[in-house]
Amino acid sequence: MKILTGNELLSGAAVYLDARGNWREALQEARVFGKDEAEALEAAIAATHATGRVISIESEDVQMTEAGIHPLRIRERIRAQGPTAPRFFDRQTLAEDEYVSI
Amino acid sequence: MYRYDEFDAAFVGERVTQFSDQVRRRIAGELTEEQFRPLRLMNGLYLQLHAYMLRIAVPYGTLSARQMRMLAHVARTYDRGYGHFTTRQNIQFNWPKLRDVPAILSDLASVEMHSIQTSGNCVRNVTVDQFAGAAADEIIDPRPVAEIIRQWSSLHPEFIYLPRKFKIAMTGSPNDRAAVKFHDIGLMAQTNREGAVGWAVYVGGGLGRTPMVGKLINGFVAHEHLLAYLESILRVYNRYGRRDNKFKARIKILVHEEGLENFKGQVEQEFAEIRGGVLTLPLEELDRIEAYFAEPDYADHGVVAIDVEREKILDPAFGRFLENNTFPHKRAGYSAVTISLKPIGGAPGDATAEQMEAVADLAERYSFDELRVSHEQNLVLPHVALTDLRAVYDGLAAAGLADANAGEITDMITCPGLDYCALANARSIPIAQDISRRFAAPERAREIGKLKIKISGCINACGHHHVGHIGILGVEKKGTELYQITVGGDGSEDAAVGKILGPGFVADEVPNAIERLVDAYIAERSDPGETFIAAYRRLGDAPFKEALYGNG
Repeated sequence: MKILTGNELLSGAAVYLDARGNWREALQEARVFGKDEAEALEAAIAATHATGRVISIESEDVQMTEAGIHPLRIRERIRAQGPTAPRFFDRQTLAEDEYVSI
Repeated sequence: MYRYDEFDAAFVGERVTQFSDQVRRRIAGELTEEQFRPLRLMNGLYLQLHAYMLRIAVPYGTLSARQMRMLAHVARTYDRGYGHFTTRQNIQFNWPKLRDVPAILSDLASVEMHSIQTSGNCVRNVTVDQFAGAAADEIIDPRPVAEIIRQWSSLHPEFIYLPRKFKIAMTGSPNDRAAVKFHDIGLMAQTNREGAVGWAVYVGGGLGRTPMVGKLINGFVAHEHLLAYLESILRVYNRYGRRDNKFKARIKILVHEEGLENFKGQVEQEFAEIRGGVLTLPLEELDRIEAYFAEPDYADHGVVAIDVEREKILDPAFGRFLENNTFPHKRAGYSAVTISLKPIGGAPGDATAEQMEAVADLAERYSFDELRVSHEQNLVLPHVALTDLRAVYDGLAAAGLADANAGEITDMITCPGLDYCALANARSIPIAQDISRRFAAPERAREIGKLKIKISGCINACGHHHVGHIGILGVEKKGTELYQITVGGDGSEDAAVGKILGPGFVADEVPNAIERLVDAYIAERSDPGETFIAAYRRLGDAPFKEALYGNG
């Protein structure tokens, strides 16, 4: 199973594509693509690319656990949470005009 | 300090204008990311895990109070109130938004700072000994020549697309505090038989996945020929460096594969052609640049004696600060003061906007308006009168910057690691935090003495783990972070690459593993004056391997 993630252009914030075609901040809102949905995944990447507003787009392997979507790579888990040794705060957030949809 | 002339000012100003327009066009959709990415990287703007990161050059690690205040302003206005000082003597901001970057660069330009050549396959910021211009053991202040190298290498048309990035480090002292033998080119001041000062040139050093100690390619190059000699090296590298494989593209691989003699032959041939030509440095020009780095107007304080042992009894924290954080100055009555950015449990190299401002105030009042960034991710007040040390200490304490651990086990170099970096495989900062908490007690740190731990979160080795007396390298194995421990590395003039002694450890086990190494050292050292690295050289791997992995 895979999700789509990237960084929003203006803020650089980590974002996830949801089932309605919106790029959101919360990992748990991400659309999970099954093995048989490779075409839909490719189409979503192309549509996002066309907006020019999400960069560094990657598909990431995940599994579903009781807690929800669980990325297999540590890197992705940290991206979803923010720095684990934070100084004062958590992740980069989107301003009003930084939400992207396809 | 060096001040921009009209060329510098125009060149930085033009770049801000250009990049502002490029950002505008990117946001307007006139540029694609593919088109924009190389442009933003040329201006130090990276994309990391959680946000953009802006890297700002601090040429040869030298800053004025005004510049430090501007960094505080940037931190507060456009970022999250702090900045991160790096092993390249630069500063990075971890949370800028794209729209704000032109304003940040414009603000920086107003104090003669920029982000040019902080990324890409070009000559990067030249790094030098953090005590340059102050150290008692210095033959020459390397910064005037570093400034000339900066001018020569900035937008050098031939060397903007090298096979890979290129880093030059310099030391004016025989005691190398700038790790010059682990740079693409390392320059070490030398005196020749006639008593003239010039440069021993090392080439092909580096860390990363293939660590190499730089090789001496020329024992003495006079100031006037240095640029021609550097240009000869860069030209041979640019011509023959491997562009087919990113992992083999650094000059260290070329020198290694070709062999020093062959490489040197090529350089000498090139040098024979251009020596005495347009790159000959007129000594008047060197004098002109040197004037910017003239010694400050020291006051004559007479004989000042500080009884450190007495101070340690009266105020142990201040006594410890005097013992660890002061460095012998070339001028009697003065000292260079290290400001540790390694608080127990903190993120190594971070400083808040308030701390930057406090440091700027202290530099203005007590250090002739001068500051340095060290490659060990600390700051330095280079010229403090001994009579002002107490006031400086009190000022630092008020800003939460009086940690007296410079050079001790908790003064670690640590890369940002997987908490921030898009290239990392494992976290570094939490490992450093755990180790610093473990060794927080001043008595324990003092008992251990001088010991350098360096931590990298991937094989690229930004945390210099190969040259840590104890090095820690984070890797990912089957979805878990694992830490390999090396012993015996040394970034000084006695350059050595650390050795891996066995399998890695999970994060929770790292502090115990370090403790076992330290205990083995204390048990085996010939006397308390024998440092960890000296003991390792005498004893070899065996006792350390046993400490880590037992007798099996």
